[in-house]
Amino acid sequence: MLNEDRIELMTKMAAYENRQGKKDISVNSYFRGDYISFQVLKSALYATVGFALAVAMYILYDLEGFLTDFYKMDIAEFVKDIGVKYGIVLVVYLLLSYFIYAYRFGRAKKHIKKYVSQLKELEELYEWE
Amino acid sequence: MSNLLVIKEQLAGFFSRYEVYVIAVLKFVLTLVALLLINSNLGYMSKIDNGAIVLVVALLCAFLPMNLIVIILGMFILLHLYALSLACAAIVGMLFVIMFVLYLRFSPSDSATLIIMPICYMLRLPYVVPLTLGFVGSPMSCVSVACGTVTYFMLDYIKNNEEQIASYSLDSESALGSFKYLIDGLLGSDQMLLMVITFAVVVITVFMIKSLPIDHSWKIALALGVIVNILIILIGCSALEVDLSIGGVFLGTIVSSVIVFIIQFFIFNVDYSRTENVQFEDDEYYYYVKAIPKISIEAPDVNVKRFNSYEDGEYEEYEYDE
Repeated sequence: MLNEDRIELMTKMAAYENRQGKKDISVNSYFRGDYISFQVLKSALYATVGFALAVAMYILYDLEGFLTDFYKMDIAEFVKDIGVKYGIVLVVYLLLSYFIYAYRFGRAKKHIKKYVSQLKELEELYEWE
Repeated sequence: MSNLLVIKEQLAGFFSRYEVYVIAVLKFVLTLVALLLINSNLGYMSKIDNGAIVLVVALLCAFLPMNLIVIILGMFILLHLYALSLACAAIVGMLFVIMFVLYLRFSPSDSATLIIMPICYMLRLPYVVPLTLGFVGSPMSCVSVACGTVTYFMLDYIKNNEEQIASYSLDSESALGSFKYLIDGLLGSDQMLLMVITFAVVVITVFMIKSLPIDHSWKIALALGVIVNILIILIGCSALEVDLSIGGVFLGTIVSSVIVFIIQFFIFNVDYSRTENVQFEDDEYYYYVKAIPKISIEAPDVNVKRFNSYEDGEYEEYEYDE
C-alpha cells in the first residue's frame, strides 16, 4: 500500500538532496578541520595565481624602466619586497577564507542535522507500519 | 493594496510552476542585452558584431550556468579588445582573471551581479544593485558588486579613449609605454574607487540592519542604505575631488530606492517554492513525484456597512463580509 505521509516526507528529502543537500552532504563527508584546511589551501592557490598576475602587471606597468634597471637592481631586495607583500596578501586572504568556510561548514552541519532527523522520522514511519 | 497582494501571489504561483522556463528566459534576455551593449559600445571585431551570432550565443546561454555565461561574456569583451589592441586585451584579461579568482572564492552565487551591475550603470541606476544585494545576498556580495563596478569603469574608459589605445598598438616603439598608460587609465579612476567603497558599505549596512530582530527592519535598512549611499558619495566627492553630479546622485539614489522598494515587495515574505521533480524508491515501489506547491490566493476582504432608516426612526444595521 502507498503511504502518503511517507511519500510526502521522502519527496521533501529527495528535493533537498537534489539541491542544497548535494553540497551539504559533500561538506559533511569531511571533518571540520579537514574541510576548512582543504578550502584554505585551495584559497592559497587562488591567491597565488591572483598575486602572480598582479606582480606581472606591476612589472608591465614600467616595463621599459624595469628592463633598463634590471642589471643594476638588487634582485635579493626586490624578491624580498615581493615576498613580504605576498605574505601579507596571503595572510589576509586565508584569514577571510577561514572564517567564511568555518561558517559554511556550520551551516551545512545544521542542514544535515535536520535531514538526519527526517531520516529517523522515516524509519519510525516504516516501523509503525 | 489588496490587488497588489493578489498579483504577488499569482506571480509566486506562476514562478513555482514554470520556474525552469522563467529562469531560461531571464538568462536569455540578460545575455542578449549584455551582448548587444558590448557590441554597440565595443564593436571593434566585426566578425562577432553580428546579430545572428549574438542571438545564437544568447540562446545557448539560456541553458548554461551563470558562471559560464560570465566567462562567455568576458571572452566576447576580450575578443573585441584584441581587435583594438593586444596590450589592452592582455591587461583587461589579467584583471578579469584576478577578479574571477577573488569573486569565485567568496561569492560564486552572485555571478548575475557581474552582468547586471554594468547594465545598471548604463541606465544611470547603479545604486539598485548594492541596495538589493543587501537584502537578498550576503555581506560577501560586496565582492561581486566591486567586480561589476570595476568592469564598467574599465570598459567606459576604453570606449572613451579608443583612438588613443588603438594608436599605441600600431606604434611599436611606444608599445612598452602603453602598458603604463593603460593600467593608469583602467585602474586610476578615483570615481571607481569611491563607488567600490560606497557600495561595499551600503551592502554591509543594509544586510546588517535587515537582519536585526526589530519591527520594519527592512524599511529601516533601505532608508539607512540610501542615507549611507548619499553621505559617503558626498564626503568622497570632496575628499577625492571627484567630479560627480550631486543632483544625479540624489535622483539616482531616490529612484533606485523606489525600485528596490518594489522589488522588496515582491520578494519579501513570498514563498517562491519550486515545483520539484524527484525520483526515489523504497522496498516496494519506484516513485516519480512531481510536487507542485499549493498557492492560495485569498480574495480581499470587503467589509460593507449599510444603515437603513425606517419611518419610526429606528435604525437597523447590516454588516456582512464578502
